Amino acid sequence: MSAPLRRLQQAPRHLLVCEKGHARHERSRHAAHVRDHAYNCRVSVLIPECGVLPQVLKSAVADLGEYYVVRGLSVHQLVAHEFVESFVRKGSCYALAYNTRIDQDNTAALLPTGKLILSVDKDTYEELGLQGRPSRYSGKKPMRYIITIDLTDSSFHPDGKKHKRVLWALKEKKPLEFDFLLAWYNSGAEGSTLMSYFSKNQIQALKPKVTFSTLRDLQCPVLQSNELQGKPEESCSTEELFEWLGAVLNQVNLDNVSSSFLSTYCCPQPNTIVDQAFLCTITGFIIPEKIIQLLEQLCCYFGEPKLAQWLTLTVHGFADSPVSWRENEHGFHKGGENLYNFVIFRNLDYWLQMALGTNDDCPP
Amino acid sequence: KKFVLLRHIFVGYSAVALNHIIDFKEKKQEIAKPVSPSELFPSLPIVQGTSKRLKVLTRLTLVVSDPSHCNLLRSTSTNIRLYDIIAVFPKTEKLFHIACTTLDVDLVCINVTEKLPFYFRRPPVNMAIDRGIYFELLYTPAIKDSTMRRYTISNAISLMQICKGKNIVISSAAERPLELRGPYDVANLGLLFGLSEGEAKAAVSTNCRATMLHGETRKSACGVVYTVKKLHKIEEEETVPACKKAKTQA
Repeated sequence: MSAPLRRLQQAPRHLLVCEKGHARHERSRHAAHVRDHAYNCRVSVLIPECGVLPQVLKSAVADLGEYYVVRGLSVHQLVAHEFVESFVRKGSCYALAYNTRIDQDNTAALLPTGKLILSVDKDTYEELGLQGRPSRYSGKKPMRYIITIDLTDSSFHPDGKKHKRVLWALKEKKPLEFDFLLAWYNSGAEGSTLMSYFSKNQIQALKPKVTFSTLRDLQCPVLQSNELQGKPEESCSTEELFEWLGAVLNQVNLDNVSSSFLSTYCCPQPNTIVDQAFLCTITGFIIPEKIIQLLEQLCCYFGEPKLAQWLTLTVHGFADSPVSWRENEHGFHKGGENLYNFVIFRNLDYWLQMALGTNDDCPP
Repeated sequence: KKFVLLRHIFVGYSAVALNHIIDFKEKKQEIAKPVSPSELFPSLPIVQGTSKRLKVLTRLTLVVSDPSHCNLLRSTSTNIRLYDIIAVFPKTEKLFHIACTTLDVDLVCINVTEKLPFYFRRPPVNMAIDRGIYFELLYTPAIKDSTMRRYTISNAISLMQICKGKNIVISSAAERPLELRGPYDVANLGLLFGLSEGEAKAAVSTNCRATMLHGETRKSACGVVYTVKKLHKIEEEETVPACKKAKTQA
């Protein structure tokens, strides 16, 4: 009888990895971590002691590129030789199936490294006939399978057996069709050719939605960049910061008023009250290259003397994406969070926190 | 009924079974043909957050308190075979044993509204698990009344101690939209019954899919047995084990 009671007191398995570094250090891995997390749906920037965003940051936020929504795109069109030559090999192409649930339906994703990931349920896997492996989070009887196809592999040319088999499976055996979110990054030529390539499908170009807000009289925890665990009475730990940031971004009241039934959360001690803080939220299909540029601009924010001791950049991944970092499998148990958070200090030290849910691997 | 179905798509379900209850204590009841989903909706609505349509199945629950009531399941001329899923609600220990071991059903309902008149024993429960039959717990009585809440939890925990969390399906008996709860909330309720995290989620997802497939094989297997009856006796014996195998692998 005590086992269920004990289980009730535990939260489902979740993982928070905290890392410390310096942004200008030559071996700093902050850009690598951002690049490895391919699919991002929301970016939030919180800058304490800031009323108006500087012009440089405003233009960086406005310049986040555009992404495309294609309805009813068949997966075999992503495997077609023409698509691979024009987009996958030249630059980074990102594609993610939209409006699918990772724990119920089939999903497809194309990574910038040229790997096509199909996460399919048991029936589809048996009908499709392609080689894959059972999902790691499926239990004793596998209900979910992951198929990985490397489109840039040298043996994957149009005359090869592999290519023919994949095309046959996706075109004739079991045609898979999804609504896709697409983005293409090419450090060179213009990026508008995706529109012309998929002009026969219903393709729509969208820009990420940006909202600004100013928070007044916000309680902010005191942090010291070299104390990850926090010192009692002097600074807060990374876990406390993470929880506080979650409360602020979700607009939870930190007062702990007795009449409020929603939350009894209080800002961790020690904290200071800040007159105003600037919160910028960007929602859309945002690619890592743009986030790296934004991160660079945020590091340059501290080039001039500012009141703020630190600022944060939070990036959320899609809850239904089949991969989290690199090719680590991502699942949805009761929550599909896969997000990371940068805390950048005045001296350009940074803390990186990576958070994952129940059916996830440890990030690199 | 339409509003309850519509609520399902907003809360997150992708498949719903409409239940029709037959209680033998009342006067002789005829089993009507199941309501076709197309009568309720000309085209099924799309589940919110995905691009698939809602799947609607039909289900029959037989409340049995006497062994003679089970004859209906064996009879061949009724509309029973038109239903996708068949469930039985045994009222006595003997009927529970019969339901787990010999009856051709997909679900065995566990009483949650009153104290169980019998204790679960391991042999029939294990046989049911081997045959691919699932035990069903309801959660809507727990929402309505606090006494029924106590009985729900105590009956569920005593079932868990015998079956170790395998082959459980948790469903609502919702008649109104307000009695419906989302699938992840119901999975959390499963934790209260003593299921582990993985088993609780399976109770609303993979186990339900297995029940649907069990119903499908039962429908088609019934048809196979039908034709074999006319063939030579030796061939009949050869094909019957194959049907049993199809049931357990569903």
